[in-house]
Amino acid sequence: MTLAETLETLLPPDAELRFGEIYLTRDKEGTFAARHRDDRESEDGLERIETREELRELAKFDAEGEYRPLKTAPTLRRGWITKTGEAADFLSRLDALYPGVFATWVAYQNGEIDPVPLRDTLERQTGMYKFSSSITDQMANEIMRSTCGKGCVRVITWPIDSRCPVSRLKPPAKILPVICTEACTFAVSEARRLAKEAYDKANAV
Amino acid sequence: MQIRKPDSALLILGHGSTENPDSSQPTWDHAESIIRTGAFGSVHCAFWKEEPSFRQVWPMIEENEIYVVPNFISEGYFTRQVIPRELEIEGHSSQRGEKKIHYCDPVGIHDRMTDLLIKRALEIIDDGTKVEETALIIVGHGTNLNKKSTEAIKDQVTAIRERGPEQGAAFAEVLDAYMEEAPFIADWKEMTDAGTVVVVPFFIADALHSYQDIPVLLGIESEPTAAASQQEVFRRNPYEIDGRTLYYSSAIGTDASLAEVILDQVAYFDEHYLS
Repeated sequence: MTLAETLETLLPPDAELRFGEIYLTRDKEGTFAARHRDDRESEDGLERIETREELRELAKFDAEGEYRPLKTAPTLRRGWITKTGEAADFLSRLDALYPGVFATWVAYQNGEIDPVPLRDTLERQTGMYKFSSSITDQMANEIMRSTCGKGCVRVITWPIDSRCPVSRLKPPAKILPVICTEACTFAVSEARRLAKEAYDKANAV
Repeated sequence: MQIRKPDSALLILGHGSTENPDSSQPTWDHAESIIRTGAFGSVHCAFWKEEPSFRQVWPMIEENEIYVVPNFISEGYFTRQVIPRELEIEGHSSQRGEKKIHYCDPVGIHDRMTDLLIKRALEIIDDGTKVEETALIIVGHGTNLNKKSTEAIKDQVTAIRERGPEQGAAFAEVLDAYMEEAPFIADWKEMTDAGTVVVVPFFIADALHSYQDIPVLLGIESEPTAAASQQEVFRRNPYEIDGRTLYYSSAIGTDASLAEVILDQVAYFDEHYLS
């Protein structure tokens, strides 16, 4: 089954799904629609957006005009709706808002990708990020709590290290999970910052 | 170059930025342009610093043959170390499960970049400017992490010099300069005596380095400005500095022809690496 066909199956006519901050619907005629979940009560006054390029631009900045380098940050703008009858087109629009998130969930559910432990990600780094692998478990927990927990709507599926495996996420009803299968550049950067801070403190004259 | 690969996917890789909103835009623009040609079954982008990341992109691609083209300016740290590591590929072609992955050369080392650099330099100077009295400086990042990073620029400088007046490159001088290694772009006034100097950034996007950092090093801004997309006017050429006339162009990677160079790298791969 293709990704577009999987999306059609997960969101059949006359159904709805929550997808992070996005609210997905499909009417009885089969038309897909996406909007901010805080706009789910009414379509009145919502700006109609017709292309993935415009959606990509919308996702680039928050309501205050600040750049959103992390597309799953909890700062997606409100006030828009996008509709199409084609599943593949709808998927490309969702990818403009949350790049690759749907495909990641499908691959995870099919057992095609395994979450990567944080320490494996950090130990793989080179150059300026090589230092990040020296964080303590306490720092790792702090990253998961602050950087990930507050700054991103994804649900973490990876463990800190391979000795502490986590159970696989089950598909919840009426929710299309927005999952994280591997620490991103923000988590790695924060690990580097914490590691460097601890090193500088320990070696201060 | 006519490419028809409806059963293959194209994956274009960019650096991206967590700070500048314009860094990934040219890569997306080139991807959309290639999608409109229908050359591939699907076209995707992935980034080091944005999403989808290099690590996230494989599940998005459904074709079993995938051409990967780094939209990077040179061979170096990213194309030789970071990308193969993050994509878990090795050499020119790799097998990942059912998927055959072809890793093409980065756009910046393609021969066609020479034409684009000359075109960009000539289109920015005012009519009446004497090209034979104008110095062209190609500016790049430069890094101590990998010596190959500056090779692409040095090769282009040599190629433009070799073209000479007969082939539309009548510049008084053609020079290379860098942000982080010698010869430093900040020393441009000492590098040439030419009254008119054109500086073309050999970068993929008008982002942090080419739009915000280098103008300060050139002396046309006193401090980094806001991102290019947040400005009303892109740039106010020419700049009169210490009796010299200086033109500073937008990054070479923003040229719409780069989409064709991406396809050229796929064709080059088929001709040279696909056995």
